[in-house]
Amino acid sequence: MTHFVLARSFASATLIAVLLSSFNVHASEEGLWQVLQKAAVAARALSYKGIFVCQSAKQIRSVEITHMYDGQNEFARNVVLGNSPREVLNQSGNVVIYNPRNEKIIIEKRHGQNMFPAVLPVDLTSIKASYSLRSNENERVADRSAQVLVLEPKDGLRYSYRFWIDTEYGLLLKSVMFNNRNEVMESIGFNQLTLMNTVALDWFKPRIDHNKNYVMEQEQEIVADTGEPVDWEVKALPAGYRKVDQLIRKVPGKPELVTHVIFSDGLASVSLFIEHMPKGVKQKPPPKIMLTTTGNTSFYSNVNNGHLVTVIGDVPEATVVQIANAVVFKK
Amino acid sequence: MSEQISALMDDEILLEDAKHLFASMHSNKQSIDAWSQYHLIGDAMRGDQVLSKNFKQNLMRQIDMEPTVLAPKSAQINAEKMHELKDRLPVKWSIAASFAAVMVVGWMAMHQVQPGSQASAIEIASADVTEQSIPSEYLAAHFSSVPSASSYYIQSVNYAE
Repeated sequence: MTHFVLARSFASATLIAVLLSSFNVHASEEGLWQVLQKAAVAARALSYKGIFVCQSAKQIRSVEITHMYDGQNEFARNVVLGNSPREVLNQSGNVVIYNPRNEKIIIEKRHGQNMFPAVLPVDLTSIKASYSLRSNENERVADRSAQVLVLEPKDGLRYSYRFWIDTEYGLLLKSVMFNNRNEVMESIGFNQLTLMNTVALDWFKPRIDHNKNYVMEQEQEIVADTGEPVDWEVKALPAGYRKVDQLIRKVPGKPELVTHVIFSDGLASVSLFIEHMPKGVKQKPPPKIMLTTTGNTSFYSNVNNGHLVTVIGDVPEATVVQIANAVVFKK
Repeated sequence: MSEQISALMDDEILLEDAKHLFASMHSNKQSIDAWSQYHLIGDAMRGDQVLSKNFKQNLMRQIDMEPTVLAPKSAQINAEKMHELKDRLPVKWSIAASFAAVMVVGWMAMHQVQPGSQASAIEIASADVTEQSIPSEYLAAHFSSVPSASSYYIQSVNYAE
């Protein structure tokens, strides 16, 4: 009898404890999202310099970064350390890459909003819909104390991430992407970091190699495509992914222009290419269905109704297959 | 010499003190190359504001409209025409500015033919060898529109170096 009473009171105490802790978890997850939000802003709004190490597939690079925010614009100069340094200059998302190739330096232009440590978007709404967030024990990165946050997908359609966030500055110190088997796919992290207190911009220029020719990258013909697709549409997209852009572009080796649609879940991006397969034109027939993964990039292509449909992105294979299968051609 | 040209562009050397640089640029191909390369680098960094999107087409159209110079003596006619034009221009230095821009575009056009043909040959070759790898043209198109955090620093394995 005594045993029974004890067991009952123990059970209710456990129940209360579980309820309390689940409430706590819920309340603190909102707090963790705020830490992540702060990290997204700090990467853009602080001025700092340091060296970070970037590792992807089998390659490792050390990069020297100088980042400054003058109250209106962001300036960052990234120098990839090595024999012939590649430089990446970023002014508020307008990125210019000085890429040494053989005897030349190719100047490439990009639009980038996700350069380390600003890998997170400022608006986390869509990420919140597809990922959950929890915290681990604090660790040290670049000789600084860091709060560890684990961003896990709610389904198998995206990778998971681990973020180390400076407990003092709120700045992202390290970011690692894991696949579904918990293997590291990509890792970027500081090993030296100091805050800067300057508004001088004399450092914001590439180091010029007087012995090399500077050449603009071959212009890629890109036209913004806002019109509705004529003979196809994308139905049931994988959960959390939405269309963010649509272009018409020239792809090297392709006789016709290719439609390029970009999808994102807020963190991962996927490209869909749709091209007409001209009849009667002799060309190397592409494999009917091809699914492959190199490093963290998945690739899928198939032939659908006389069109070649190709999907590529830093996402699991299931996601590229689902997006390709969501393309429906109208008869 | 190149450092001095760079300094001149950054207004670190007074125009009055740069006479020897101009002389050098007239006589020395290396100096004139440095001058145009620094402008190209500067233009690229400043973004699209410097050259309008249709700059090349507009320029080519205007060049088409110009009479073709067949013999050196017609240079004199051109000089007269230039004089006329100069009065219509808002400020004098804009001639120098457009001259620099023309040099840069000409220099770019000159250099653009070779790397393209070379690069595409390499890409096709590597795609043929490794059948199961991701075709480099899609990889390049994907990362040029949506760069991943590491793709700024590490080129994809398949991307022709």
